Amino acid sequence: MNESRLLLVALSLIASPAIAGDLDLRIVDSAGRPVSDAVVTVRPAGGIPAGPIRFPWGTTMVQQNIAFAPHVLIVPVGATVKFPNKDKVRHHVYSFSKPAKFEIKLFGQDESRSYTFTSAGAVALGCNIHDAMSGFIKVVDTPFATKSNAAGQARISGLATGTAQVTVWHPLLKGKDNELLINLPIPGSGTVSKSVPLALRASR
Amino acid sequence: MTRAFRLKRRWRRWRRAARSTLTIRMTLFYGALFVAVTTLTLFGTRNAIEIYAENVIRREMNVGSALFDRISAMQLRQLGQGADVLASDFGFREAVGTGDAPTIESALHSLEGRFQLDHALFVRVDGTVMGDIKDLSRPEQDQLYDALDAGRTQGVVRWGSDSHIAAAAPVRAPILTGWVVFARNMGPADLNALAKLSSIDLHPQLMPLARVARADKADSGMREVMRDGELMLVQTRPVETLIKTAPEMLVLEYSLTRAMAGYAPILWALFGFGAVGGVLAVAGVFAASRRLTQPIVALEAAARKVSAGEHAQVKVETRDEIGRLAQSFNRMVDAVEAREAQIAHMAFHDALTGLPNRAMLREQVALGLTRAEGGNLMLFCIDIDNFKSINESLGHPVGDALLCEVGTRLAATCPSGFVARLAGDEFAVKLRAGGQTADQAGRAIVAALAEPFDIDGHRIIVSASVGIALSPQDGADATSLLKNAELALHRAKSEGKGSHRFFESAMDAEAQARRALETDLHDALRNGELALHFQPLFGLSQNRVTAFEALLRWQHPTRGMVSPVHFIPLAEETGLIIPIGEWALHEACRIAATWPDHIRVAVNISPIQFRSPNLAAVVLQALARSGIAANRLELEITESLFIDNVEATLSSLHSLRALGVRVALDDFGTGYSSLSYLRSFPFDKLKIDRSFIVDLLEHKGATAIIRAITTLADALGIETTAEGVEHSEQLDILRAEGCGQIQGYLFSRPIPAQDVEALLDKLDGARKAA
Repeated sequence: MNESRLLLVALSLIASPAIAGDLDLRIVDSAGRPVSDAVVTVRPAGGIPAGPIRFPWGTTMVQQNIAFAPHVLIVPVGATVKFPNKDKVRHHVYSFSKPAKFEIKLFGQDESRSYTFTSAGAVALGCNIHDAMSGFIKVVDTPFATKSNAAGQARISGLATGTAQVTVWHPLLKGKDNELLINLPIPGSGTVSKSVPLALRASR
Repeated sequence: MTRAFRLKRRWRRWRRAARSTLTIRMTLFYGALFVAVTTLTLFGTRNAIEIYAENVIRREMNVGSALFDRISAMQLRQLGQGADVLASDFGFREAVGTGDAPTIESALHSLEGRFQLDHALFVRVDGTVMGDIKDLSRPEQDQLYDALDAGRTQGVVRWGSDSHIAAAAPVRAPILTGWVVFARNMGPADLNALAKLSSIDLHPQLMPLARVARADKADSGMREVMRDGELMLVQTRPVETLIKTAPEMLVLEYSLTRAMAGYAPILWALFGFGAVGGVLAVAGVFAASRRLTQPIVALEAAARKVSAGEHAQVKVETRDEIGRLAQSFNRMVDAVEAREAQIAHMAFHDALTGLPNRAMLREQVALGLTRAEGGNLMLFCIDIDNFKSINESLGHPVGDALLCEVGTRLAATCPSGFVARLAGDEFAVKLRAGGQTADQAGRAIVAALAEPFDIDGHRIIVSASVGIALSPQDGADATSLLKNAELALHRAKSEGKGSHRFFESAMDAEAQARRALETDLHDALRNGELALHFQPLFGLSQNRVTAFEALLRWQHPTRGMVSPVHFIPLAEETGLIIPIGEWALHEACRIAATWPDHIRVAVNISPIQFRSPNLAAVVLQALARSGIAANRLELEITESLFIDNVEATLSSLHSLRALGVRVALDDFGTGYSSLSYLRSFPFDKLKIDRSFIVDLLEHKGATAIIRAITTLADALGIETTAEGVEHSEQLDILRAEGCGQIQGYLFSRPIPAQDVEALLDKLDGARKAA
């Protein structure tokens, strides 16, 4: 039953590719302040179109100034992420996260290591030498993914009309896997604007 | 009578005694004062100690409280550090990250041992708790998770019945995956170990707020609570808890009662000292006030004795105010007694001679009369004759000396007698009957006083009259005996002086009659019972009445006509002669004013009247009021005036003469027959005494005396009047001898004033007929 419906959605998308809408979310915390680095992924009605997923921001996680840059990196499943060290000190990057448990031990300046992420999910990155270093790699299986900017805005366009499953992820978000799942109707054309408040754990 | 009533009465009596005794009053007052002060001191000390003890406990509590904070902070740091170490251990984080429960459990267990923890836990962010959780109930686990999730990291936490001190550290792998929680027991035993660090056992306890008494919750400071009979000082304050919703209080307490018990010996000692001091103070004040009041009591007793008439002296023991008071008291008593003796002496003695006085004599006589063997005694009253003239001529000092000498002589004359001075020159001697007879004694006294006295170079010769009264016949009591002796003395004096007389009962009757007469005479003048009668003086050469002599008559309402011989001496003695004489002068002049101008009026002037200083004024007044010429008034005086004080008499006569009145010498030739005064004063008339006229018919020599008098008078230019002419033979002789005037019954008896005119007419008619 489910499969047949998915099929129908896919057929309708193919049949009418011109019919699409935009999503414009504003991510705020419980006090209404904009929240940045919240990852928004959408599973539109009719499913995810086939084909390789590529994001314009690349797949490199730099270690610079004793920090991960960017703080949050969205990569598609199967992407190989490079970890170039631009600091003068060495780093020992590790992850105990379920989607990717790995360790890149003590690599120096201008050395680059890489790791290929094979399953979707959030990967928390740390450095065993520098406890304060924290970074996240969000491995996604949809092309409709972005992270909120400093103003808390996250825009995704070209979404098929119908009810879309929108997932908001943030490292401090309370809840299972730090995720919030909402369903949103996407119109045939135009933009759906919505403010999404998040219950965040105090950052420590 | 009930026992209570008796007690009450005794109490009242005691209170009265206490109020009336200075000693007890002072003792009670100072005793009460001391007890009050001691009690105040005791209470003050107790209060101060209590405040001090409380302050000490408060300070200790603050110290204990701070100590608790310090120690718990230290422990929390230790625990936190331990938790941190574990939380940042890579291996542990890997185990946590990969969910390796057995590894986590074993790591926690091994750390429990290493850090001597009671609990080492790991709480995952999803709320599961691992480690030693057997003491934690599910709700406690949830509470713990909530607290950690809310960001709490340390504080006190209660699991089961035990309180713990716990610290947590977050585990990041690298995101927050949970918390390591290390906890250590903070039970009574641990707190007691803490308590040992402060100097007093504050019995620290951690208690959930719910179990703390409501009053303590409201006030987190200190308060006093009564518990099981003990006063507790309790401090309650909140402590930092891991779980905010389960507040815990730190309770510190200490028994004030027990603290005060430590000071009890001091208070008891103070009380003891106070009690001993109180007893000493009361005893001391009692002794001191006793010493103070004893002399006062002695003085009071002595004063009581003195007022009762006894002699009393107080022993002077100190030199202070009371000692001086005692001295003054003694001096006062002596002075009062001396004065009393002096007054007593003065009351019974004569100041001049020192002899007993009349009062003492009376007492002596009374004593003598009551004596069993006595009853028979002789009383002599002695008076110096003419003492007055001695006083006047030689002066009072000589008179006084004479009186003293008389006293001495009387004492020498009657050695066994009791000599007293009654008044002025009157003395008395009391003798017991037995030795000499009264007559002998009287004679001896008269003789003794007749001896010349030598006073201040004056040789003075006096005579004395003595009146004698004998008991029991002359008086049964002192008063009558004395009175009768004086009556006898009067008789002696009036009968010639210089002798002694015994009392006779007739004297008493006579004296009484005299006294009655004296009383009547007082009223006579006022009642108009006195009248003047007039006897004519017939001038032989003029052959007519030339004058009338005014003579006093007393018509007594019951006695009838009273003779001047009786009442004139009485009037002279009592001094009544002065007003009577004054009246006579006025009356005579008034009546004479109605007569023809050539007829004079002659008025007798008593020696007493003559000596009165205002005689001249009275004469002048009588002349002025009647309007008669001064030379019509003739004042008749007697020779006796010249006996005493000739000079004064002469000066008075001259001043009378200066008024223009005539002066006649009455009764010439009888008394003091000295002719020298005839030379000294120019009398207007001599009245030849009737005794010579009576003799005329019996003795031949009498005629010679008349002749001598008339010759002498003629030579001196003085008129003569013969008194008491009753027979014509007498008239013939007198006429022959050249007497100027005749007075007597031959012509007329004294007649009342209203008969004068008729007499004049009759005599004039007779003369014309002749």
